[in-house]
Amino acid sequence: MTVPRNLSLGLFFAALAAVGLVTPGFQLLAVNQHLFLAVNVLALNFCLGLGGQISLAQAAFAGLGAYGSVLLHDRFPEATLVIVPAVVLGTGLLAAMLSRPMERLGEGFLAMATLCVSLVFTNLVLTLETVTGGSAGHMANARLNLPLLGSLSGDRATFFCFAGLLALGSYIFLALRDSRLGRALAACQGDAQAASSLGVDRAAVRSLSFGLGGGLSAAAGVIHGHYTGFISPEQYHLELSLKALLFLVIGGPGNLLRPILAALVLETAMSWLSVLGDARTLVNGLLLGAALLVGYWRASR
Amino acid sequence: MLALYLAQIVNSGLALGAVYGVMALGFSLIFSASRLINFAQGELLLLGGLTIMSLAGVMQLPPAAALLAAAVAGFVLGRTLFSTTLGLTLRASPLRQLMLTVAASLVFQGVAILCWGKNPLMPPRLIPLPDLRLGLVFLGRDTVTALTLAVTAVVVLGLFLGRTRLGRALRATSQNAVAARLQGVDTVFCHALSFALAGALASLAALAVGPQTGLRYDMGLGLGLKGFAAATIGGYTSLGRVFAGGIILGLAEAAMVLTVSGEFKETAIYVLITILLVAAPREHDERP
Repeated sequence: MTVPRNLSLGLFFAALAAVGLVTPGFQLLAVNQHLFLAVNVLALNFCLGLGGQISLAQAAFAGLGAYGSVLLHDRFPEATLVIVPAVVLGTGLLAAMLSRPMERLGEGFLAMATLCVSLVFTNLVLTLETVTGGSAGHMANARLNLPLLGSLSGDRATFFCFAGLLALGSYIFLALRDSRLGRALAACQGDAQAASSLGVDRAAVRSLSFGLGGGLSAAAGVIHGHYTGFISPEQYHLELSLKALLFLVIGGPGNLLRPILAALVLETAMSWLSVLGDARTLVNGLLLGAALLVGYWRASR
Repeated sequence: MLALYLAQIVNSGLALGAVYGVMALGFSLIFSASRLINFAQGELLLLGGLTIMSLAGVMQLPPAAALLAAAVAGFVLGRTLFSTTLGLTLRASPLRQLMLTVAASLVFQGVAILCWGKNPLMPPRLIPLPDLRLGLVFLGRDTVTALTLAVTAVVVLGLFLGRTRLGRALRATSQNAVAARLQGVDTVFCHALSFALAGALASLAALAVGPQTGLRYDMGLGLGLKGFAAATIGGYTSLGRVFAGGIILGLAEAAMVLTVSGEFKETAIYVLITILLVAAPREHDERP
């Protein structure tokens, strides 16, 4: 059964909005964490789904967004309109610059190199203890202040921020996928050498998709950092990158909704599993492995 | 004073480097045979080490028996890893195979947490070797154990790959799987064998690293990553060079421990690995 794309998108966001309106505030806390992950999955989809480049650096970009925005808001509490775009753009640019030399690497090597980027971020935060608070974390007291809306706080407002970000990201994703640039990216993914010989500047187009992904992760990080009121290296640790990648692979890179749904559904299931205590890691692994295998068997039939 | 520092660097660097070298060999075996990066390599070491530790708790293990038990336990673990990841998805995209090893590493970690708990455990020294003093250089017993184990493993593996029919089949598979199959080599068996051998190597490395740092459920990723970096330095193809890559990485890390602070050392090491990955010789261009 195939549902038209616009219809399925509309249904998804309508359902999301319904969840946001109906769910009681305290339960939105968990939902918001899942949404934060879902935005990161979408961000990774720019690199992997469009450009065919694996990345485990998403946690570092989200962390840069969170730390950058929170630390700058401590200094200039009223400058949200300047800080947020600057942080998002800066992280996006950094991601694009990082991806340029890594463009030639194959999948596994790129995975390891970007994994190192995540670890470098975590260790830098730990090292710069005087600025970031190190492993003890840092209180994020300042809120995001928007001119007409006032200060953004509360579970429901954050929920709709994340949902809006998801919608914006989805729009950019679809617009990019159907553009000339998207076709160039698809060509890089299909056959890198053929793409080059057809005149596609691989490093340039791929760094663009990488940068967009980095920027989107940073934006998610900005919202998340101010929302939780407390930032620490563990929140933006490698685990976030790995989870984003897992859900994207489970949902199929290049698809828009499936990975996001996979992230929301499986992550909700996994958060219920916290009653299992120590057995949680094992069950998580089994669940993710099963999801990967089921996807493979379905595709190969 | 400087000589003392240098001796210290050599001692701890060789102990670390030998372990990285053995891990790197396991990585290279799997990578050459199936072009797959095994994220669960560190967990193979963890579970192998923990199994041997528990075994040593219930019975007397003389050194030879400990070696044999470690090799067998690792072999079985590696074979299990193969049949639950790559063996099930031989035709899947490399990315899916890669992510399956990530899921497997979570499962292995989960087993370690359930069976042995979250606290670090100190396994006993099963291979009692004395300290060694060579002129200025002093090698502690952990270093001597690690080096002996590692060099023995390299030599045995080298003989196996170079002199036996099965070893040659494994090498043929890694050089050109299609041609190997045409010559009657069972390439799937060779993939399984590479996993099993990598498991055995990881378990042997656990005998060396366990008494140095203890075994903890979350140690796998760091060790695995450094083994991978060492394999990259060594270029994946030659046993000697891959092992030397491990030694170089170990010495570099030890030198940094003594010169810069702990967390900054980690930052520097990972920056270094990233640069190495990007700038490494291009013979593995466009590989998975």
